[in-house]
Amino acid sequence: MTATRDRLVEEYLRRLDRALRDLPRDRRREIVQEIEEHIDQALSELGSPSEAEVRGLIDRMGDPEDIAAEARASLDLRPRRAGGLEIAALVLLAVGGLIVPFLGWVVGVVLLWVSPAWTWWEKLVGTLFTPGGLSAAFAVGVLGIGLALPAGAGALLFAFLLVAPVASVAFLAWRLRRAEPVAG
Amino acid sequence: MQHMVVSQDKLLAQMRRGTLEYCVLALLREEERYGFDLVRALAEVDGMLTTEGTIYPLLTRLRREGLVSSSWRESPNGPPRRYYRLTPKGERALAGFVEEWQRFRGAVDRILQGRRER
Repeated sequence: MTATRDRLVEEYLRRLDRALRDLPRDRRREIVQEIEEHIDQALSELGSPSEAEVRGLIDRMGDPEDIAAEARASLDLRPRRAGGLEIAALVLLAVGGLIVPFLGWVVGVVLLWVSPAWTWWEKLVGTLFTPGGLSAAFAVGVLGIGLALPAGAGALLFAFLLVAPVASVAFLAWRLRRAEPVAG
Repeated sequence: MQHMVVSQDKLLAQMRRGTLEYCVLALLREEERYGFDLVRALAEVDGMLTTEGTIYPLLTRLRREGLVSSSWRESPNGPPRRYYRLTPKGERALAGFVEEWQRFRGAVDRILQGRRER
């Protein structure tokens, strides 16, 4: 019976941990720990609880999603859903300049700054790396636009202009997955 | 069960949403308590607590808002426990709520009474 009860509790705590996955790590650990201790204490008060009692206790603790929702509210987390706006911003930042020269990228920048999903400095990174997105690499590499650079430096610049926009868009996408407490 | 415009569950949830945190504050008015203890006290009131687990994030929020503070105490058998107590800000918030609640409850009672007399 103890084995079953442990298994049920483990399973619940695992579900809880998963539901809290977008919270900051220490917050997530703290909640799971508090609830684990609560369950432990409740079980020890019951003495040798039956499986039904254990299930009842876990039910009373509540749906992990509800707890996670309350936890997010308690931390005043900014919503980090990747909505259409965010996806459009990321796509246009990368390749918008290739579709409509320069302007396509500018629209991406506008969407980036309009979206509530990123912090101020994340948006700055997304804007500065790299103006024009991939179209800058295109301009330099394919059209050879206005740069009298020695071949080595030119290649280096081209490589940078290729990698930087991809890296910064990947960075922004990664930041979307992690909800964080709002500082301001 | 008589017909209700909103299902009873939803109704309770709505009423609970506004008042639960103040009930927690009120429970801390007399003495400092730890999480499990608070849950137990709330669970005794019918309908007050459907999801016991949500008390813990709630307590964190109250701590963050400066309405309660916490400290660790050794417990007789087991890991140290986190005890919560009201801060002066929490006392003021609770006093404000009590006033509002009594006023609100009086108003609702009057309206409900009015319908019956007619």
